Amino acid sequence: MGKARKALSKLVGGIQCGLGGIVAVLALLVYASLAVREALAIASEEVYLYIFAFMVFSAISIASGSILIWEGNEEA
Amino acid sequence: MGETRLKRELGLLQATMMGIGGAICAGVFVTLGYAATLAGTALIIAMILCGIINLFTMLSYAELGAALPSAGGEYTFAKASFGGFPSFATGWFEWLSNMFYAAFSAVGFAYLVSYVIPAVNVPLVAVATVAVFVAVNTKGVKETGLIQTVLVVILLGILVAFITYGFLTSQGSGSFELTSPGGFLGVLKASSFIFVVYLGGEAIAVAQAEIKDPCKTIPRAILLSCLALIVLYTTIAFVVFKIVQPTDLAGKESPLAYVAQQFMGPVGVAMVTVAGIIASLTSVNTSIMAHSRVAYALARDGYFPSSFFKLHPRFSTPHLAILFGSVLTAVCAATGIVNFLTYATDFGFIIGFVLVNLSLIKLRVDKPNLTRPFKVPFFPLTPLLGIVTSLMLIFFLDPGTLFIGAQLFLLGLVVYYVRMVERSRICQAVGGMNLGISAFSALVAWLVMSGSLPMALSEGVMWMVFGFAVFVAVVFLIAGLLNVAGSSER
Repeated sequence: MGKARKALSKLVGGIQCGLGGIVAVLALLVYASLAVREALAIASEEVYLYIFAFMVFSAISIASGSILIWEGNEEA
Repeated sequence: MGETRLKRELGLLQATMMGIGGAICAGVFVTLGYAATLAGTALIIAMILCGIINLFTMLSYAELGAALPSAGGEYTFAKASFGGFPSFATGWFEWLSNMFYAAFSAVGFAYLVSYVIPAVNVPLVAVATVAVFVAVNTKGVKETGLIQTVLVVILLGILVAFITYGFLTSQGSGSFELTSPGGFLGVLKASSFIFVVYLGGEAIAVAQAEIKDPCKTIPRAILLSCLALIVLYTTIAFVVFKIVQPTDLAGKESPLAYVAQQFMGPVGVAMVTVAGIIASLTSVNTSIMAHSRVAYALARDGYFPSSFFKLHPRFSTPHLAILFGSVLTAVCAATGIVNFLTYATDFGFIIGFVLVNLSLIKLRVDKPNLTRPFKVPFFPLTPLLGIVTSLMLIFFLDPGTLFIGAQLFLLGLVVYYVRMVERSRICQAVGGMNLGISAFSALVAWLVMSGSLPMALSEGVMWMVFGFAVFVAVVFLIAGLLNVAGSSER
């Protein structure tokens, strides 16, 4: 794997892990904060659906990011 | 292997205290009020019923713990009987539920302290509590057991004083009659609500690799702690209804403190508050010990990173497993979201109960010659009753519990496949998901800008959502291409 691709893998992986973390926190805020629900126009009966979607997104994002970082750090 | 490096330092007394201390949490100090409104004075029957339901499963723990005394508790039992994903899922739920239970107890402790000192910062105290018990658990299992024994002896002393004084006092309503406003259904509802006070006793099985003479000590400690809890809770309920009417407890934040106030005055309130604080601490201690041993066992079998299997060179404790799990516990405790922690804990423990009983049945059929120093009586009726009664409790739980449980299960599934499946296949799968998310985000961005999204968003929020969706679409597109290209090179 070339140096540029390794650097790109690490960069994109890092962004994905960050995004995953942010969305997990957002899921927590949607669960706990009425103000966040109102800002995002989430009806109370849809709360669990949104949390579920955010958690799945977060898990995939962190998993994919970790794999990319791992590949970026691998010896050629 | 490394299993032998864990020191067997817990005797019968410490193991029993581990079980009692794991079970008596702040719950018993706060749940009695609502349960009394459901079952009336027949709450005593609900307490006994819960104890018997708990006993069905604890007998299974006793048999399996004595037959398979290595670290990991339920996970070890499921591994011996099912192997593969079911055993991983058992360990996963056990690990998570113990972490959530530790966080729940730490938050409970912080709230109790805040009643005494209103100025304290609840999340900060909860995190500090976790940190203190991380140090104790890292120092050694002997120290963990010693602190647990001291705390539980003080706790039992206070509760016995409460009960004895309650029996002796001439105060109270005098006559005592068993009545339930909701009939038997009310008793059942109250049972499902207060069952939480019996959870946590299975910590003995999790620490079984550190218990001396496990074949004898594990079944004795489990049964002793179970019976002690039934006697303790039933007599507490009896004293409560000797002093006050069930209706008096409605809406009381700390019903036990209210009752103590009636016949012991301010001293009683102080005693009960101290007891609640100690109960929370013992639960934090036990659950940190439990989650670290499960992580240790999962790492031993390659499901978790191998560093969790390493023991501290001086203290012989799985210090990295303790530290990692406790950081997650501290994060949960810092949020202070008690409802989430309660639901997640309940679900994990109940699933664990079902799987332990299933493991017992499967092992009796598949490995009839396995040496069993203790055998569950009335097999297969007892484990079957354990399964049925545990499943019954799920029906009475809040629907949120099932939803959170399903999410935790999905997360476990992801972790399992990341650890077990060939890397190029994971890269392909993750790459495909990334490309799918990228396409979906692009669609969301387009819908937001065209105003087709059926949501009443303000303009600022709309731009934020649009920007986020475009950013996600680009990042996930690049990530997907990198994943797929990486997998095709292998």
